[in-house]
Amino acid sequence: MEPQTLAFNADLLRRYDRPGPRYTSYPTAPQFHAGFGEKELREVAAASNGDPIPRRLSLYVHVPFCESPCFYCGCNRIITRDKARGDAYLARLYREIALSAQLFDRDREVIQLHFGGGTPNFLTPAQLGEVVETLRSQFRFSDAADRDISIELDPRFVDADDIAALGRIGFNRASFGVQDFDPAVQEAVNRIQSVEQTRAVIDACRGNGFRSVNVDLIYGLPSQTTEGFARTLDTVAQMRPDRVAVYGYAHMPHLFKPQKQLDASLLPSGETKLALLQLAIEQLTAAGYLYIGMDHFALPDDELALAQARGGLHRNFMGYTTHADSDLVGLGVSAISHIGDSFSQNPRDLPSWQAALDEGRLPVFRGMRLNEDDQLRADLIQQLMCQGEIPVAALERRYAIDFATYFALALERLAPLAEDGLVRIERERIVVTSRGRLLLRNIAMCFDHYLDQPAAIATPRFSRAI
Amino acid sequence: MNAVAFPRNDARTLADDGNELRFCSTCAFSQACLDEGMDKASLGDLHVLVEHIGPFRAGEHVFREGDPFEAIAAVRAGTVKTYVIDRDGHEHVQGFHLPGEVIGLNAIDGDRYPCNAVALDTVMLCRFSFPKISVLATRVPGLQRQLFRLLSRDIGRAALLAGDWSADQRLAAFLIGISRRLAARGFSATRFQLTMPRTDIANYLRLAPETVSRVLRRFQEDRLLQVDRRELELLDHEALETLAAPVLRG
Repeated sequence: MEPQTLAFNADLLRRYDRPGPRYTSYPTAPQFHAGFGEKELREVAAASNGDPIPRRLSLYVHVPFCESPCFYCGCNRIITRDKARGDAYLARLYREIALSAQLFDRDREVIQLHFGGGTPNFLTPAQLGEVVETLRSQFRFSDAADRDISIELDPRFVDADDIAALGRIGFNRASFGVQDFDPAVQEAVNRIQSVEQTRAVIDACRGNGFRSVNVDLIYGLPSQTTEGFARTLDTVAQMRPDRVAVYGYAHMPHLFKPQKQLDASLLPSGETKLALLQLAIEQLTAAGYLYIGMDHFALPDDELALAQARGGLHRNFMGYTTHADSDLVGLGVSAISHIGDSFSQNPRDLPSWQAALDEGRLPVFRGMRLNEDDQLRADLIQQLMCQGEIPVAALERRYAIDFATYFALALERLAPLAEDGLVRIERERIVVTSRGRLLLRNIAMCFDHYLDQPAAIATPRFSRAI
Repeated sequence: MNAVAFPRNDARTLADDGNELRFCSTCAFSQACLDEGMDKASLGDLHVLVEHIGPFRAGEHVFREGDPFEAIAAVRAGTVKTYVIDRDGHEHVQGFHLPGEVIGLNAIDGDRYPCNAVALDTVMLCRFSFPKISVLATRVPGLQRQLFRLLSRDIGRAALLAGDWSADQRLAAFLIGISRRLAARGFSATRFQLTMPRTDIANYLRLAPETVSRVLRRFQEDRLLQVDRRELELLDHEALETLAAPVLRG
């Protein structure tokens, strides 16, 4: 990817602002089907053990509970203040861990463990410690220096003592939801959190051995203004998190019920949304952050930036990662796994997930096996998202295809994007230009086989590109 | 032209059923015809004995130990594993049979198959009645020579790993062996898929599965090869040949 400059062209962005997947996976989740169940999951896991060098494992634990509803949320979560629900959930989770661990040969090391939600810190540090211990007793954790244990934290429900406790357990990366410090926005989205609170926990991470801190921001929220967001960006840049993610808010109340509580009349216009995005890019790059791709920025010495520079950046359901070549094992309600050439997902509702575990079954309810075409396109889209280019010659060699023939339809779709200067088509590769970097998903969509299907066009299930 | 990586062979291989003048590209006996310039009549006679069977899906057995021996079969596509189960119930992998290679040869001195043969991926076979092909071989010198060649190759391969070799040597010999066998059939000698799970490789080489992975990881760090899931690329063929040389000698 061409570094540094991000050419911002409002007219271009407006024209390309249409719904599209974020490609945390290819094929995307709507392609998963009920024909892939426990039997298939066991088969793909056994096959993955049969690789000459079986891949290492990344574990994801989903904690679905939140004490308070944020109105913008599109995640799978359950609002409750009843802490007893945490223990009941963990009892089931431990069963799933036991069933899951048996699927994998013991010499397969865990290189990454991530807690997401919901709000993982709905659980106390003691409970989280117990989860980590349970996992450690049934999987083999790597001793490698880059082994990560990371967690998404809501700064409103965590303090410096908690951070210290998490550090002792072995957590070394944290991601904090901020969204916007503007009080008007915080009120509109039902999430009030102060600058002081946030700064205190970020500082606590630094003092307790955390290797990296990420802050999430959202643009396009109700009552958001360029003035307010500029102040937020300024404040965040001063806190100096190693990574900043700036997500576009996707208002899709037909898919995400909590969003119905949000006053849609307060949503910013398309113009303002674009201006907010522009602000974020300008201020963060001016503050020394590098644009990694999609919605992610990182300081130049952060591992993400370093990995991208050496071509070792990858993307999965947890976003960008430096851990290539691992099989991803999702644990907990709604969690997604990526084992071998398969995707699979746990039930999205608590009762179904619980019922499966109470019957001693692996709680998978849908998934898919990738065919050779899926694998090729997944590889291509991964390269596009992470390295900002399509290595045409390498793909031809690797998959024994003639690129121009195989992707004739995709290249036809890509032609107008090339004309608009979003990509540069060379003989050996297709390079994303600085103009195209904000429109990675539009570029990827040209290569998405499943968007050719009429059903995908008729029912928009994806958020807009901007 | 780049040779294709095994088993990502194109549809032509399977569609190629041969004709009166020519055999399938992966046929174990095609060499006999080429070497000897077999006449049309002999080719026709041989063709009558050939029966295309399959596909067998991964895990499906081609024959089992003790089944009555009727025919030998040549692999057209995919990989077949042969193995026996000992008295304690432990499996012993005897070999992996790639396209162009023959299974069932070790049955010809008895009337029952002495081992099991199972498909490791999607497998297509050509089956030949052994008694009939033997009769034909008395009339066609090239065919007889080819039969002996196949037989001796089978015996030679079994002896390979009986020696006192290190894990590195065993693995290098295994990979070089596969590379040579695939290259002889027109597949890429440097890029191929290991269609057998590592437990089978380990069993065949008499190593622990973890050892197989550990050695391969070290080979990878030393830039001898590159592994991506089942796909393997030999980067330093020469170094691997050198490692394998004592095992493969003779």
